[in-house]
Amino acid sequence: MNKTQKIESMMEVVRILVGLVIAYAVALAILFAISEDPIYIVQQFVLGPFSSPRRIGTIINLAIPFTICGLSMCFMYAVNKFNLVGEGIFMLSACMVTWVSILLAPMNLPSVVMVPVMLIVAMLTGIAVSFIPAIMDRKFNANVVVVSLMLNSVIQSLATWILRYQMRDSSIAYLGSLETPASIQLPKIFGSFRIQSGLFIAIICVVVVAILFYKTAFGWKMRLVGANPRFATAVGLSAVSISFIAQLAGGAFAGIAGATEMMSNYTRFQWTTTTQHGFDGLLVAVLAKKNPVLVPIGALFLAYIRIGADVVNTSGDIPTEFVTVIQGIIILLVAAESFLSGTKNKLIFKAAEKEEKAKEAKAA
Amino acid sequence: MTIDWIAFIAEGIRMATPLVFAALAALICRQAGMFNMGVEGMILCSALGAVIFAHYGGSVWIGLLGGIIIGLATGMVIAFASLTGKADLYLTCIAFNLMATGGTVFVMYLLTGEKSTTSGAFRSYQIPTINIPLIQDIPVLGRIVSGQSLLTYLAVIAVAFMWFFLKRTRVGLRIRAVGENPKAAESVGISVNKIGYISFAICGVLCGLSGAFMSMSWVTFFMKNMVNGRGYIGLSAQNMANGQPVGSALASLLFGFTDALSTTLQNQTNFPVEFLEMLPYLATIFAIIITSVIAINKRRKIEQGMAK
Repeated sequence: MNKTQKIESMMEVVRILVGLVIAYAVALAILFAISEDPIYIVQQFVLGPFSSPRRIGTIINLAIPFTICGLSMCFMYAVNKFNLVGEGIFMLSACMVTWVSILLAPMNLPSVVMVPVMLIVAMLTGIAVSFIPAIMDRKFNANVVVVSLMLNSVIQSLATWILRYQMRDSSIAYLGSLETPASIQLPKIFGSFRIQSGLFIAIICVVVVAILFYKTAFGWKMRLVGANPRFATAVGLSAVSISFIAQLAGGAFAGIAGATEMMSNYTRFQWTTTTQHGFDGLLVAVLAKKNPVLVPIGALFLAYIRIGADVVNTSGDIPTEFVTVIQGIIILLVAAESFLSGTKNKLIFKAAEKEEKAKEAKAA
Repeated sequence: MTIDWIAFIAEGIRMATPLVFAALAALICRQAGMFNMGVEGMILCSALGAVIFAHYGGSVWIGLLGGIIIGLATGMVIAFASLTGKADLYLTCIAFNLMATGGTVFVMYLLTGEKSTTSGAFRSYQIPTINIPLIQDIPVLGRIVSGQSLLTYLAVIAVAFMWFFLKRTRVGLRIRAVGENPKAAESVGISVNKIGYISFAICGVLCGLSGAFMSMSWVTFFMKNMVNGRGYIGLSAQNMANGQPVGSALASLLFGFTDALSTTLQNQTNFPVEFLEMLPYLATIFAIIITSVIAINKRRKIEQGMAK
């Protein structure tokens, strides 16, 4: 790595950190401006998430689906296809897992069989759904973003229909499915932290995706296609089919995320709208700069500000929605190439100047 | 089951209004070479802006103006991030739409204490409907063409204006030049960034009109996520028509009818609501497939012609 590259990668980290600090400052400013007791509220927002083991556990629990969704978006983002279908897949795979598990319940299979079966169901759901925008992109050159967003609306209605007409429990007052069999309900671990055992699924996913990205030929091809599709085509790679496969893989992981969330936190499926997890996944992938190893860190940060917002919401009646604004600001700042580019260029220039002088000194 | 077909057609035209504005808004950016998905969020913000301005200004016209101002402002935000900040336009728009969904709820809560709708706290204003003197007396046509919202007629004018603007004015030509080949345009002294900002400004005004229609004509209040993909549908409509104003309007009309069909069937039949709700989105997906196939065939023919 030469000096310029070093400065560039260092500035990338600095840019993300500065972006986060600015967004966090905006969040604090908003809280300061609108609450009646700003100091208490800000303190709650910053420290509240760490105030009890239960809350720390909640941060980690929240970070689990964020991590897996972030991995899913890493695939899409790596090949520069903003296929946002993860949002719909998350909901549909939770729905399918519930449905299939209810259908399989009479067989009384043990958890060892059920949980993997459910994960396979979820992955197949994800691949099947993600196939639609991916194939349309490949065959018809249709815009993946628009198609996937339209598809999300369709899926939302589809999942609600399945819930209402195929597996509704009419004995409960609200709209909810029948209870899932105990064999797919994942236990909580670590005592008072009450962390989901889905944590292990998330860790395995991170390791698998990291290996796939950095230790396999496919991962290398995928990153090349994303970085420079024309070069990739020129050296004989099929950019179209690589990005197609990457989108299917992303779909599979979004499916796993939905299933994990369902199996760890719910005993009944009861969503009638999509859950924003797909978009959260995008934020995490952007923060992690499509690097699967950094995804958990991005996910933990997002979970931390989310819980902070929840704490503030309960103790100060401030709507949690302001977090989405903060989320947007973070994406914008991290994505904006000009942000701090002046500083970067100055540093590179200075380093080059220094090198030149050193050379001159040697020559003299 | 009997469906009032005349009412259905009138409803289809009404539902197409916000889509036409959205399509034109996306179109102007596309002509300048930018794929602006942000129209969805821009319309949502404008819809809320219109209601707020109308409530505090005490007049429907101030509301309309407010919608346009907010549309313009949000357009500038996206333009600044993508043109000056050089952020990826897709990411910018996705981030912006995310901010719009949460931000509108946040602002609404601060002002009204409600999280789902402003209907209780804010006075509702409606953009007047217009009865056209002679035409309203013609039996069938009168019920369809007359008595629509002022904005619906404005949408028709906007389509004609857009055609004229793009084809017959200097700025329109420059916008198209930038869209066609930004480097070539730059080389003859056109500022690509300036043209980008102009397109986003026009886009913002159109989004403002679309948003004002949503919250002051479609219904007379703002509700959470009320735009519900209409920005994207407008975007697909102009995509289908290859960025041509008249074609985009016709495609929007088609989607307007799908929307009207979905609501009409929901009211008058007992078909599962969930499947009817899918209709506009499914129609969009199919329309995208069909137009893409046509475009590909056309290109293939041209290539074959060149081979001969």
